[in-house]
Amino acid sequence: MVHAVRRIVIVGGGTAGWLTAGVIAARHRSRIPSSFSVTLVESPNTPIIGVGEGTWPTLRTTLSRIGVSETELFRKCDAAFKQGAWFARWTTGAANDGYYHPLMLPQSFSHINLVPHWLARNDGSSFCDAVCPQGKICDDGLAPKTIATAEYEAVANYAYHLDAGKFAPFLQQHCCEKLGVRHVLADVRRVHLNDSGDIRSLETEQAGEIEGDLFVDCTGFKALLIGETLGVPFVDCSDVLFCDTALAVQVPYETEASPIATHTISTAQSAGWIWDIGLPTRRGVGHVFSSRHISVDDAERELRGYIGAAAKDLSVRKIPIRTGHRQIFWKRNCVAIGLSAGFLEPLESSAIVLIEMSAKLVAEQMPVCREVMDVIAARFNNTTEYRWGRIIDFLKLHYALTQRDDSAFWRDNRLPETIPERLQHLMLLWRYQSPWYHDEFDRIEEVFPAASYQYVLYGMGFRTELEPQMVEGSANNAQRAMRENIAHTEKLRAGLPRHRDLIRKIVQHGLQPV
Amino acid sequence: MTTHELLNSQNHAQLRLLPRRGAEPHFVQIVPSEFVAAAIACPILFSKDPGTGAFYAGVALGLKPGEAALETKEDRGGFEPLSLQRDGFFISGDCIAIDRGNARFSEVEGEPLFDSAQQPSTALRRMQRVLKQLHEGIEQTAALVRDLKELKLIEPIDIALSFDDGERLTLEGLYTVSRDALRDLADVDVLRLFRSGHLQLAYTVAGSLNQLSVLAHLRNRKLAAAR
Repeated sequence: MVHAVRRIVIVGGGTAGWLTAGVIAARHRSRIPSSFSVTLVESPNTPIIGVGEGTWPTLRTTLSRIGVSETELFRKCDAAFKQGAWFARWTTGAANDGYYHPLMLPQSFSHINLVPHWLARNDGSSFCDAVCPQGKICDDGLAPKTIATAEYEAVANYAYHLDAGKFAPFLQQHCCEKLGVRHVLADVRRVHLNDSGDIRSLETEQAGEIEGDLFVDCTGFKALLIGETLGVPFVDCSDVLFCDTALAVQVPYETEASPIATHTISTAQSAGWIWDIGLPTRRGVGHVFSSRHISVDDAERELRGYIGAAAKDLSVRKIPIRTGHRQIFWKRNCVAIGLSAGFLEPLESSAIVLIEMSAKLVAEQMPVCREVMDVIAARFNNTTEYRWGRIIDFLKLHYALTQRDDSAFWRDNRLPETIPERLQHLMLLWRYQSPWYHDEFDRIEEVFPAASYQYVLYGMGFRTELEPQMVEGSANNAQRAMRENIAHTEKLRAGLPRHRDLIRKIVQHGLQPV
Repeated sequence: MTTHELLNSQNHAQLRLLPRRGAEPHFVQIVPSEFVAAAIACPILFSKDPGTGAFYAGVALGLKPGEAALETKEDRGGFEPLSLQRDGFFISGDCIAIDRGNARFSEVEGEPLFDSAQQPSTALRRMQRVLKQLHEGIEQTAALVRDLKELKLIEPIDIALSFDDGERLTLEGLYTVSRDALRDLADVDVLRLFRSGHLQLAYTVAGSLNQLSVLAHLRNRKLAAAR
């Protein structure tokens, strides 16, 4: 007789735990509670780390599928719109050095690659502005939609900045009240294995023994199940990505009417970079750096220097970072999602998107019985390892392309032995051919599409050699696409409201469901 | 020029009212009490208030801004939207305000607003009823929309029309009541909607969509006549 998989037990109640619970419960809703259960066990004492307040546009689809209202997200999680990231001083370090990585695809992206045409023009315009309106929208501080745009729909593609400390309780309420997730507040004292080595049950301090068929480890850096119990080793990646410490601080706005940036601002420092994320209530600012290249005191000095006078009475929280991931993510009947699976610096807000993708994969491929679980696990491991690899490559690209020579941190980042081989090959390829569409990133669900590589490469002054003849054939189409982009840009700039004004309206009136 | 004044028998004893003037707008807000009369000739659609995003109901009198196909009351099967009837009059708290700059106000011609005893005339009393009906209609619309939204009956509708002269028109930002969703309603919801009167309104909106093709046909005929 087969051993059916019916009882899903998630351990840990941060963003990872509740998002996973929501995604799985929503997907299997028709089976709950008669033949399927989702239980989330959470310690009443462990604080939530709340990594990263930046997200990807995928979160809109995820939240809409879970069935939460976008209006409520704005009301309860201090959410703001995020339309991309501005990278300052990453290329040369000069005061006017900066580029956007927006969330909209380049104009007509599925029909034509505009990179060669933009390179051939060589007219000093930024790549982002030549192919997409979003840089200008961010410059103007405009929202990506209007109060008449339905929930989760966009005029310009967007994600969110949100208060992670409020996001988890928000999801919890929805999961428990609407999706039938069972919430158990208890400390796990011991993990029991059965004879084959699978996890059989959790022995808890307050709620007795909890049995399950599939366990999801969302216990954060502790990695209680995947690491401590099942012994899956951690693969350290600090030889590629050097940052190992973060200093975080919350900065109040000058006035209630101060504009809210509608993009993440990432400003390179001497041995790391500073994130600056605008929520309606405050800015979240933090310095991520390599303690091998700068002392914590100096790093704090750079952080306070960035914030200016407002930093005077603010206390700084220090967070150690362990860059890397598990060797495998699903072992036996346990899958790790969130920080237990690994962590990378929040340069491209990859943490929450990876949680969403992992949870979706588990929910969609949910093994029917234990007998097929190893097949699904192998597939999950293969896909997830690929994703971590591509994120690491993409983050490293930001460092590998720098021309900065002002500190060992930037010089070390360019050393070939610190650049993954696959990325080295791609960078060689891109000297002669620009990335486009499905040339290289051909999985159905890539974390970063080819467009993201285009924005970073050509934002950072990378040059692809071109034969002039190569662009002639499609020159008319390219001209039309760029003209359309100019018209689209003007239309959006004229029609979109100011970021803070729209958030205020959403909180007051709400967005319509359709 | 718009100059709002509170209407009163001292200042406006001599004021007279002419019929509404000026071109018909192509989309006019209406309230639920008007739905049945409107649906005889006009498509009823929902749109969103650009300031708040809230749904409101309206009738399309034409398919293009500045171009009304149903120009006269006769074209519309005798239907005259309240919000056109009240042109120039507004509610201000418990009082009526008027836009003194509106061309329908005159001191020489038209129906008087006040009689010789400084009491509201027949014309003004008619206007008071129109304003009251509109005022109550706003709350009725909100209740209707609440119900329709809760039961997921409102759906966006993209209207794309091609005309004989080759012009293509796309109407965006409009919503209707989904017939499929109506058919799928649970019995308990059907009963509740019926009792509140909202079921009939929902079917009236869904059915009035057929008038869109009548509008398009009218527009084509006008284009042909103009050639």
